[in-house]
Amino acid sequence: MKRFISIFILAMAFFPAPDANARTNGWDEVFFKANQAYREARFQEAIQGYDRLIRSGPRNGHLYYNLGNAYFKTEQLGPAILNYERARLVIPRDADLNFNLSYARDQMRDAIPQSQGFFQAAFFWLDSLSMGELFLGFAVLNVLFWGILFIRLFLRMEWTYYLFLILLIFWLIGGSSFGLKWYQARSDDRAVVLKKEVSILAGPDVRDTVLFKLHEGTIVHHERSEDGWSLVHLPDKKRGWVKSEAVELILTNS
Amino acid sequence: MKRATIFLAAVFLFLILPLPAHADISITLRLDRNEAMLMDSITMLVKLSGVRKGDSRPVLKGLESFDVTRTGTSSRFEIINGKMNSGIDYTYLLRPKKTGSFKIGPAEVKVKGKTFRSNAEILKIAEPVRSSGTHRGPLFLKAALSSRKIYVEEEAVYSLKLYCRKRVGDLSLNLPESEHLAFKQLGKPVEYQGVYNGESYKILEVRYSLIASEEGIYAIRPSRMNMTVLESRRRSPGSLFDDPFFSMSSRRPMTLDSEPLELEVVPLPEMGRPAGFSGLVGTFEIESGLEPSRIKTGESATLTIRLRGRGNIKRIPDLKMPDLDQIKIYEDQPVLEEKTDSKGLTGAKTMKWALVPEKEGRYRIPPLSIGFFDTGKHKYRTLKTRPRSLDVLPGEPTRVQAPAGPDKGKTTEGPAKKAVKEIGHDILPVHASMKDLATGSRERPGGLVFWVLLLLPLFVYGGTLCGLKIGRKSADSMTAAKAKKAAKDFIRQCRQDDLSSNDLILYITNYFNNRFGLSLGSLTPDEAAGIMESKGVSPETTNKMKDVIKTLEDAVYTGKGYDGCEMGENIPKLIRQMEKEIR
Repeated sequence: MKRFISIFILAMAFFPAPDANARTNGWDEVFFKANQAYREARFQEAIQGYDRLIRSGPRNGHLYYNLGNAYFKTEQLGPAILNYERARLVIPRDADLNFNLSYARDQMRDAIPQSQGFFQAAFFWLDSLSMGELFLGFAVLNVLFWGILFIRLFLRMEWTYYLFLILLIFWLIGGSSFGLKWYQARSDDRAVVLKKEVSILAGPDVRDTVLFKLHEGTIVHHERSEDGWSLVHLPDKKRGWVKSEAVELILTNS
Repeated sequence: MKRATIFLAAVFLFLILPLPAHADISITLRLDRNEAMLMDSITMLVKLSGVRKGDSRPVLKGLESFDVTRTGTSSRFEIINGKMNSGIDYTYLLRPKKTGSFKIGPAEVKVKGKTFRSNAEILKIAEPVRSSGTHRGPLFLKAALSSRKIYVEEEAVYSLKLYCRKRVGDLSLNLPESEHLAFKQLGKPVEYQGVYNGESYKILEVRYSLIASEEGIYAIRPSRMNMTVLESRRRSPGSLFDDPFFSMSSRRPMTLDSEPLELEVVPLPEMGRPAGFSGLVGTFEIESGLEPSRIKTGESATLTIRLRGRGNIKRIPDLKMPDLDQIKIYEDQPVLEEKTDSKGLTGAKTMKWALVPEKEGRYRIPPLSIGFFDTGKHKYRTLKTRPRSLDVLPGEPTRVQAPAGPDKGKTTEGPAKKAVKEIGHDILPVHASMKDLATGSRERPGGLVFWVLLLLPLFVYGGTLCGLKIGRKSADSMTAAKAKKAAKDFIRQCRQDDLSSNDLILYITNYFNNRFGLSLGSLTPDEAAGIMESKGVSPETTNKMKDVIKTLEDAVYTGKGYDGCEMGENIPKLIRQMEKEIR
């Protein structure tokens, strides 16, 4: 065993792990330059910098937030809201983000009624927690829950029973919250209108009847895409087709 | 996905919707027992078959002499041999009000205009058996008074002690009600361990202050305590469900009565009653203070009088300050502090006056007095404050400030408040800190760590549980193998030559131990007979074995234990017979 450990340490010495700093140094620089560009009101440059980082780098909530800010400054409300919403999936309680998103929504032209389902009302805390946070919380509860059951196999004391009951309740709440969030994340079909104004048609053809018009920043629900057209609907059940390039899903594929 | 949802919804609806009854309508009434004591509670089940929820509720007859509580309703749906049957069970709890023999029922239910009747049951209610002597059983309630004779408005302490040696819950107490008697709980109930007539009990004690407003002899009826006695019926030991969470604990409602008590309340004596007596009864003392005792004209001094003690403190009157020459008097709102401790009601009343002299000089503040009936000394007493003097020096008149009371706090006013007005609108800046690059990147969990954290604890637990089960099973199977071999081993041992009584009795004991998984050091004829009977061996074989063991025992105890014994040939036959008969 000792010999194995020695060999392992030697191997580690000869084959060190890839230098994490070297990898992140490039990102640091891009991040720094994008921030600099933003401060100097070169917003297009900032957008490119943040976008590059998101595509190839760490993809975190703060980058989406910054990208949203840069779009907002270039008066592109649609992409701004899109990126704020993406940031909200990861850093839902960030005060700056919520302020800016609220401000951006105030600039929108369409008033879309929002409906809250039963589960959203019952699990009201889901909106304030990211999937990662919920998972971490549930993972800890999961370990504790099975841990106490494991302990009870050998130690049947009264306090272990009460601890088991408490953990069972939290485990059920945590598990159902995590499951629901997971389901929400998997089935999130929200998309943001990116163009200043788009016509929603009765069919996937420019000659079809215009049903209604939507403006940038409006959130629609995406049903399916066909030949460069997307079928979308609003919470009040208005439905229609729109050019796919005019809307973008909040949920990213990767 | 949609199809699965529809299927699940259909199953759910199928389960929750009331289904049409296909069976005949019937109604039965059942009591959990037909004889009970006055303090007991009886469970009654009215079982309706072939009806749907909402059809009708049963009307119960013959319950005039009982307090009836409905404890639950449950719907039944069963399919027996392809035949659907639904029904509703109503459960009631009956608490008898008097003794006697009562006809309970029938219960009646009307469905579609037709009346269905159940059977009736006879229930006999007897007086609770008061065990003579000292033994009081595992649960009983005792009441006591701190004093059997008190004055009007004097306080006595009524204490109730629940002695229990069983687990109880859902306690509720009904205190006896009587006109002119007021109960007030003293603190929280206390729980402690105690001994009653040599037996250890857990005691729950609750105390009440008892004040009578009228004279007379009061018969304090028993206090009644309702509770649920928890008696756990555990599952097989070692099972996964062998813990209180899964155990089937039976909950038996129970009512306990304390003994009735008598309280004599005598009037307060007329003799020596001070003028303006407020009805204050108890033990009290008075203290006073003047702060400051030297002031300038226009300034104020505060006279404080505090009366504190034990008794009916709500009767402490507000003292009146007589008018004083050249002094303006501002009376503050008196403050009454009421407390309870284990001995009764205590408290204090604080009265304050702001005295503002208009001229310099030396002023005498006269004593103030209050009369009360001292229950310790059984006579009226008058408490007086000490006379105080106030020296007033000439000075600039200043603002008079009355002593700070609950309603007279000093208020400060700041600048007028205005709503914050927004001047400009913009978004907040970007997050430029380098640490933002490293945080907030967990968008969706996944990968190996995710599954390990979710499933590993479950596998570890499941594996350990299986291991323990297998270990236990193998121990059981070893015992079974031993039992199987026991007879063979015994017969082989009996084939030896020169067997003594000592050897035989040892072999028989070993056989019983191995055959039935016992660990007996020695085996008496009665023990052997008991074991054999419990295993279904016929009385004939049992008696034969009993005789054999007795004969061998006799030989051992009469010093012939090492002599040769001829029974070695017969016993194997007996054992074979026994093996055939064992269930």
